[in-house]
Amino acid sequence: MEKRSARMKKTLSPYLYFVPALVLAYLFSYHPFFKTIANSLSLVNFSGKIIEFVGLENFQSLFTDRNFQTSLVNTFRFALFFIPIDLVFCLVCALLVYRKRRFNALNETLFIMPMAVAMSSAALVFKAIFNPTIGVVNHLFGISIQWFNDPAWAMFTIVFLGVWMAMGLDFLLLVGALRSVPKHIVEAAEIEGAGPVAKFFRIQLPLISPTILFIVSTRLRDSMLLSGPVMVMTSGGPYRSTQTLVYQMYIEGFTAGNYSKGSAISVVVFVLTFLLILLAFRFERKGVFYQ
Amino acid sequence: MNPFMKRSDIVKATGATMLGLVVVFPIYYAFSASFFTIGEFSTYPPTLFPSTLSLVNYIRALTESMLARFMVNSLVVSLVGSLLRMIVAILAAFAVAFLKFKGKQLLFFLVLGTMMLPGDALIIENYLTISRLGLVDSYLGIMSVYLLAPVQMFMLRQSFKTIPLTYRESAAIDGCSDFKFLTSIVLPMSRPIVLTLSLHSFVTIWNTYLWPLLVTNNPEMRTVQVGITMLGYADSLDYGPIFAAISLLLLPSIIIFLLMRKKIVEGIASGAIVG
Repeated sequence: MEKRSARMKKTLSPYLYFVPALVLAYLFSYHPFFKTIANSLSLVNFSGKIIEFVGLENFQSLFTDRNFQTSLVNTFRFALFFIPIDLVFCLVCALLVYRKRRFNALNETLFIMPMAVAMSSAALVFKAIFNPTIGVVNHLFGISIQWFNDPAWAMFTIVFLGVWMAMGLDFLLLVGALRSVPKHIVEAAEIEGAGPVAKFFRIQLPLISPTILFIVSTRLRDSMLLSGPVMVMTSGGPYRSTQTLVYQMYIEGFTAGNYSKGSAISVVVFVLTFLLILLAFRFERKGVFYQ
Repeated sequence: MNPFMKRSDIVKATGATMLGLVVVFPIYYAFSASFFTIGEFSTYPPTLFPSTLSLVNYIRALTESMLARFMVNSLVVSLVGSLLRMIVAILAAFAVAFLKFKGKQLLFFLVLGTMMLPGDALIIENYLTISRLGLVDSYLGIMSVYLLAPVQMFMLRQSFKTIPLTYRESAAIDGCSDFKFLTSIVLPMSRPIVLTLSLHSFVTIWNTYLWPLLVTNNPEMRTVQVGITMLGYADSLDYGPIFAAISLLLLPSIIIFLLMRKKIVEGIASGAIVG
């Protein structure tokens, strides 16, 4: 009898190491995930209890909701500006410093400094420097854009903040990729008389393209989840011009208490991010090729 | 490295430094504005340099607002949260790397699979769970959703796998239990990665915004990232204390960042820290 319980203990004990992780995975990932899907297909009361199953009704009303269409468009509009600006800017920075020369370690440090700053602090600073009247951006560039009052421009403050927060990591990934391009290939091209432009477009760009694709797909996914900067800087305004999917989900769920609608938006976000994660995984293996 | 720079190198380095200064400008501005007087915020053209280096704004930020309390909250949540997070990840990674049991792969993928479900899209249901558990406005409520870190579990497992199996066999022959093997052999051997991941966890939890905003209604329980956006001085031009608060947060993180710079750069270069 004793022997048997000892053996039981031995077979069971490995699972004990796994229990905390599994409980947490269930409690804060799988349970809320399936519950969100269930909520999105149901009528949910104020305290989060499901009243009745309504099928795809929530989605039907969601996709005809102008407000939601705005969020969807805005989310993609953010990605459309954010990703190219981020990529081009980080590429320029990376091309300037990827060769190990004097001062380049210092410049590299400057480029990655934003990584040390938390989102809410950064958003507050950006809010101040883009302030149309007392902010320094308008003054330094001699412009008078009403950044936070003009629906055409408000999104750009969020885009700039997004680029600023993302650039440390993306810059490092690109520098790493550029440094891993085999030297002999670049030198051979130079001997053949390739100028810097040809060298970049014909040799470096194709060889670092897996890293670029990796950055694009992960940043696309991040864009789908954008909410924090919107909350701190613009509260979705002016005229909902910066209202994103997760921001609207937050408002529907917590300010309006409309859990069904909030959950339906969550499901849309899941689907979008899931597709983009698949894309990211597809490129992840080739993401960075170090030798 | 060639000590003599070519002209094109000088042009590139200068260009890079200028771009770099643009990039760090918001950080400079935060520190600079933390010394501004109310008047200096409203002057036209806007100033970039404070006229005095008075600490008035810092003193006001610390005495007139709950900033100190927010910092304590963040410190508790980040410290305890990252400790628990590491314990959970280490236990699971150890089981995957060293122990044999049925369904191991399945359980492992079940935990890794949570990576596919972005936390920000789960906040409505997670909030309902936390409020049902009566954990709104509690430290445990704030840290709860960060306690599982699949990426870290995966990285620990990779690191544990580099420890030769013969260690475990000889430990077992000497009558060493699994748990003892973990605490006295595996962990000491993995100290660098455990420390790096702990620091990474600390920073991640310290920096989060959305979830802590949601699960704290009582101002006393706010974390610093949430609290700092709500300092809300009555006079709209009274930004001084806000920038002082931002600078107080920036200073330690920039120092830590500069000290850890090499590690961070290497970590990303080796593909270690993603997400």
